[in-house]
Amino acid sequence: MQTSSTLLAPSAMVSPPTEAPSPRGGKRKLIYDQDHRGPLSTDTVATLMLLQADNIDLLGICTVTGDMWAKQETAYALRLLEIMGRSEVPVYMGAQEPLLNTKAEAQMRYHMFGSRTLGNEGYLGCFANDGGNRDQVEALPPPYGRFAQIHAQPEPAADFIIRTIRANPYEVTVYCGGPMTNLALAVMLAPDIVPITKEVVFMGGSMHRSTSSVNVYFDAEGAKIAVRAGWPKFTLITADLAEEVHLQDDGKVDYVVAHAHSPITELFRNFEQKPQRANPGRHSFRMPDEMMAAHVIDPSIFAGFDEMYVDIVTHNDGHYGDTSFWDGNWSQLGEGTARSGQNGPSLKAGRVQLLKGLDKKRFRELFLDLMTRPVPRIGIQEKVASTTTRKETR
Amino acid sequence: MTATRREFIKTVGAAIASSQISPTHGPDGAPTGSVPQPGSAPPPAGARRKVIYDQDNSGPFGTDMLGTLMMLQADNIDLLGITLVTGDAWLKQEMAFTLRLLEMMGRAEIPVYAGAEFPMLNTKEEWQLRLQLYGGHRADPWMGAFNRDNGGPDLITPLPPPYDRFASLTAQPEHAARFIIKTVRENPGQVTIYAGGPLTNLALAIALAPDIVPMVPEVVFMGTGFHVFTNAFNIFFDPEAGRKVLRAPWPKFTIVSVDIAEQVHEGDEIAPGTRMIQQIAAHAESPIADLFQRYALEPLRQDPNLRFFRMADEMIAAQIIDPSIFTKSAPMYVDICSTPGPRYGDSMFWPANWQNAPEASGGALSAADRRVFVDPRQFYMGPPPAAGLVNVLLEVDHDRFKRLFFDLMTKPIRKT
Repeated sequence: MQTSSTLLAPSAMVSPPTEAPSPRGGKRKLIYDQDHRGPLSTDTVATLMLLQADNIDLLGICTVTGDMWAKQETAYALRLLEIMGRSEVPVYMGAQEPLLNTKAEAQMRYHMFGSRTLGNEGYLGCFANDGGNRDQVEALPPPYGRFAQIHAQPEPAADFIIRTIRANPYEVTVYCGGPMTNLALAVMLAPDIVPITKEVVFMGGSMHRSTSSVNVYFDAEGAKIAVRAGWPKFTLITADLAEEVHLQDDGKVDYVVAHAHSPITELFRNFEQKPQRANPGRHSFRMPDEMMAAHVIDPSIFAGFDEMYVDIVTHNDGHYGDTSFWDGNWSQLGEGTARSGQNGPSLKAGRVQLLKGLDKKRFRELFLDLMTRPVPRIGIQEKVASTTTRKETR
Repeated sequence: MTATRREFIKTVGAAIASSQISPTHGPDGAPTGSVPQPGSAPPPAGARRKVIYDQDNSGPFGTDMLGTLMMLQADNIDLLGITLVTGDAWLKQEMAFTLRLLEMMGRAEIPVYAGAEFPMLNTKEEWQLRLQLYGGHRADPWMGAFNRDNGGPDLITPLPPPYDRFASLTAQPEHAARFIIKTVRENPGQVTIYAGGPLTNLALAIALAPDIVPMVPEVVFMGTGFHVFTNAFNIFFDPEAGRKVLRAPWPKFTIVSVDIAEQVHEGDEIAPGTRMIQQIAAHAESPIADLFQRYALEPLRQDPNLRFFRMADEMIAAQIIDPSIFTKSAPMYVDICSTPGPRYGDSMFWPANWQNAPEASGGALSAADRRVFVDPRQFYMGPPPAAGLVNVLLEVDHDRFKRLFFDLMTKPIRKT
């Protein structure tokens, strides 16, 4: 069993050949599964990065209830594509509810057992008191301005995932930026897609900061099915790693507002720069989804990874949605090391690669480059939009 | 705390208010004049009841197969398709038996769809560990496809007589869950679902397409229990799916519990001194007569004290073919424990009228009593917020049930 400790120095772990962007100029085929919170959030910023990256072939965007309800997210995703001039990217609405978790139970667990997480992790996404309901779709603020004229595809997200992976064996990377309900459904309906998926990239779970994160505890059963499935490569960005960089650090937001040539300017001005100026003590969010996007666009930004086992607790109690990690090489940890003598993982634990060693300088450069690039087709799109009636549709 | 409790009460109250099961519901019209339910009465003369038959069809014989035979034989049933799920046996082996049974019965026109090969989360290894860790907890240690000696998902053993060989029929390419979604949407309000195995296929269907839930007039399911045991196989093989499906707001979800199924056994007498199986073997046409001869009478000859199985799936079939055979039912809240501990897969029930529990128990309901149900500092006796409201069958007319079963097994083989 290959583990991180049996690999050589960290430098030897940098971008194995299969991970690098194709040298022949081919684009990386990507299914982008996201609980797409609008108007601007780590979810949306990652969407912008992937829309702007030259080496990404965005096969489709799947939405899933998590940070928001799927219908509202879908409204944001469709209109974002429109204002970015990328209406050709198909959007598939996915699961509107987790496999089993419900709002009432999620809130009661909090009251009964307390929030088990720190700071702004005490977060229930759309299961919060003010989270609205499944069928409620609020108007979109500027620069969205109105609902999109393009529509979501009729196919459920899980079916799109199955069909696309089968049509492109060994070529498709699945980005899971939200609860893994859609991926779990796809695996249950079609277990044959697992060995022919190139890579799954997921943000969730953590070891030090807290062991719960919303993408897992929002749908613990979905996460458990997905992490146990046996993917050729399952890459994880933990909350610990994501917390190393925040959106407002080092003047990134001001730079983007000053230099972007697209609706990105207005998005960052309205929803990051203004709130931050009004409240300088504001804690801007960590950059989990942006890191996932960075890994997909240029994996060499991370120095390497730790191979670990992971499993999810689905007990309907205070530990619902906790992640448990075990070292991939637990049986070989020698005497005297910090974690020697530990027992092995649970029977069905999944094998994952935890990214580590973020190159903060290169991450910042990639991020700023993608946010400030011209959006090639923006002019055409705005022209089309201005000649059609401003009819708000859902 | 208060906000949560208020929400809790509100959720439960809303569930009661929106319930389409009348509190005094009886299958053949309760004396209190309950509103007739869609699908709860036999269809008008000549009309056939459309049914999707979801089953863990374990061969060569047994309650699954007998439920299948009843549905194939009943004249008032339009069997739109058979969907299979791993449970009593592995999916592929079930498929082999099902296709060949249809061929033997001359019913090759019925399409068969493969569904979930594995439960959502449960695994054989974890189940065995749980049994060792927490101890066995029921007198009926059936593990179905997870039995220690079961060969695994890909092993298909040859079919014994009277099956003899594999069918020349083949399964449909579509997944069972997609067939369920498509068929229910094409026939809104018309398709009854027979759920005879773990609820994995139905859970997948409603996760992908929650819109089908209000379009299904009735789901009839065998599983859960009160006294015999509370963890019935069809739930504890896939507790997460059971929890999801039982919680969905179906217009009507009818449950055959272990308790009612245990009231009648395949080996019971149909007339004093005469066993039902002997009469069937003597009067049925082949291949039904062959099946009873080989798998009921022959084992009985070898072991005169043989205890035959309860008639679980046969009762699902009876509820669909002629619901008036059940003389009492009650609306109840149900939920399933999906915490992977000693109670993994247990069912829990609450009376639908829990708010009137003191009245129901015969005592007067004082103002102080009433406060119990709305004051968060007092006892709470209701269901959890997401519990499902189901129709639990409580009494069966033994004679009519056995007569229906006997008649269906011995009538001429139905053609198409």
